[in-house]
Amino acid sequence: MSTFRICALFRICATVIAITIVNIYPASAASVNPKRIISLSPSATEILFAIGAGAQVIAVDDLSNFPTTAPISKLSAFSPNVEALMNYKPDLVVLNADATKAVEVKAALEKLKIKVFLERAPKDLSQVYLEVTALGRATGHLASAQNIVVNMKSKIRSAIVSARKSVKISFFHELDNTLYTATSDTFIGKVYKDFNLDNVADPAATADSAGYPQLQSEYLIKANPRIIFLSDAQYGESTATLTKRPGWTGITAVKNKSVIALPEDIPSRWGPRLIDFYQFIAAAIGKIK
Amino acid sequence: MKMQNSNSGLSPIWNWKITALSFALLFVVGILAISFGPVSLNFVKIIRTLFGLPDGLTGQERTLLIDLRLPRALLAALVGAALATSGAVYQTVFRNPLADPYLLGAAAGAGLGATIAITSAGADLYSLLPIFSFFGAILAVLTSFFISGKFFAEPNSLLLSGIAVGSFATAVQTYLQQRNSSSLRPVYSWILGELTVANWQIVTWSSIYILIALVILITVSKQLDGLMLTDEEAYSLGINPNKLRVIAVVAATLATATAVSASGLIGFVGIVVPHLVRGITHRVTNRGLLTIALVGASFLVLADLGARTLLSPAELPIGVITAFVGAPFFLVVLRKKRLVTQ
Repeated sequence: MSTFRICALFRICATVIAITIVNIYPASAASVNPKRIISLSPSATEILFAIGAGAQVIAVDDLSNFPTTAPISKLSAFSPNVEALMNYKPDLVVLNADATKAVEVKAALEKLKIKVFLERAPKDLSQVYLEVTALGRATGHLASAQNIVVNMKSKIRSAIVSARKSVKISFFHELDNTLYTATSDTFIGKVYKDFNLDNVADPAATADSAGYPQLQSEYLIKANPRIIFLSDAQYGESTATLTKRPGWTGITAVKNKSVIALPEDIPSRWGPRLIDFYQFIAAAIGKIK
Repeated sequence: MKMQNSNSGLSPIWNWKITALSFALLFVVGILAISFGPVSLNFVKIIRTLFGLPDGLTGQERTLLIDLRLPRALLAALVGAALATSGAVYQTVFRNPLADPYLLGAAAGAGLGATIAITSAGADLYSLLPIFSFFGAILAVLTSFFISGKFFAEPNSLLLSGIAVGSFATAVQTYLQQRNSSSLRPVYSWILGELTVANWQIVTWSSIYILIALVILITVSKQLDGLMLTDEEAYSLGINPNKLRVIAVVAATLATATAVSASGLIGFVGIVVPHLVRGITHRVTNRGLLTIALVGASFLVLADLGARTLLSPAELPIGVITAFVGAPFFLVVLRKKRLVTQ
């Protein structure tokens, strides 16, 4: 085979792959609207209730704690059990692609003639919008889903506009007290990037392909972020505990008390409540001098 | 017991020069470790600061050296010494070259304790992780002791009950993790071992326990050699093998539990370092226990330097380095040792 042919073959394969990536939620209009939906994803649960499909939802996984009216169950989104799902006699199951053995679970459910909506963790906002629209289409609430997307887009845009600074402000997003963090390649990193913030974790971007490296305390002191966002505040971290870390009193964010405890859940729920998250970050940046 | 040097051609059973050399090695490696990091510090100023001379580092640079690099290097040294010594002692007590400090369920117990602390969503327990893993390790070993019961007669039964207790603790840990998927990453990174949280407080309390254990073990090191003989022969040398085994296992467990709670599960040090020292010195005796402790300390300080610099400014789990560097090195020593004995 000539080099040219191999190149051509690669190009075709590459194109096919590119198409599948863009089209993460292929349009397949449901002939009959599902009436017994199980959501095994907290984000999807929030989306389903926001687009008006809540009445069709018969069970949600054990972590889907929002909205409070959602029928929370003991079902695990992390390691789904087909038989436990069958107990509910669902006609549509929303399954996260990162769940244990997601592919096998999906195949088993489809064999039992149950539709499966495979949710992929969004890489950015545009993929969240795709998911909202796709869930709308799959449940018969397309128009309402499209409205939600329009609303999200405008509210998020005005949150960004209200707080975006011309000068780049450096920040550190703390996942835990051993200094795991998220780079601008991650979903949450892109949220900060939308505000034109400067992520101190980005020089370590090559350390982890998923974008969650562990930083060194020494480096962080040198990087001297102006804001610190704590997503481990629920585990007891605060300005007070940060001050006790050796050398941290010299960090501008700690000195100026620009240490912000992120709310529980909202930063990891990639649905309509992203509006709240963007507004929260906007308010936090607004307080920085 | 005085060993005679009649076997001419062989060096004496314990050589102070090797121990002195290990001391020097640890010192050099220690200086090296505190000289490198994401922030470059003036080497002369580092030395001046260390020895309290004028014109040393000031302000933030001083904090970096004194409060970040120094405790971390010291903790690495303490943990390395603890694991290497415990490993050597376990290998002697169980007459098993594959024995490591985690054998009696210490690792699994500590892992379970850490997982309980991490998964218990409450803020209070998370900060108590070291205490949980410490008691997890101690409890697991104690359980192994009580289950085996006939420990004094048969070290192998203790070994087996250690494996059973370890499996049980691991099962509970896996169950907890499965029920709390958000804990997967913190537990995983804890298992790989880390010295990132080192500070003077951790160094202080861990040094107390580890040094007590090391002093006990090095004091009885001469008698430990008697455990390599049959119990009758040991008795004839004036050694009470049962009592000695208990002292040795308890002290080694104290050191291991402390090391684990301060730094997670750093693997391979407990097996590689003792064999490395024995391979190089061609001696299986425990009289080189101090040397083993010093080499273990140097090994881990060096490994941590790698953990801090290879992916800088990010961290690499130290367990990755100890196994990645340790395993091939170990194989070379093993091969040389085999050639010698042939």
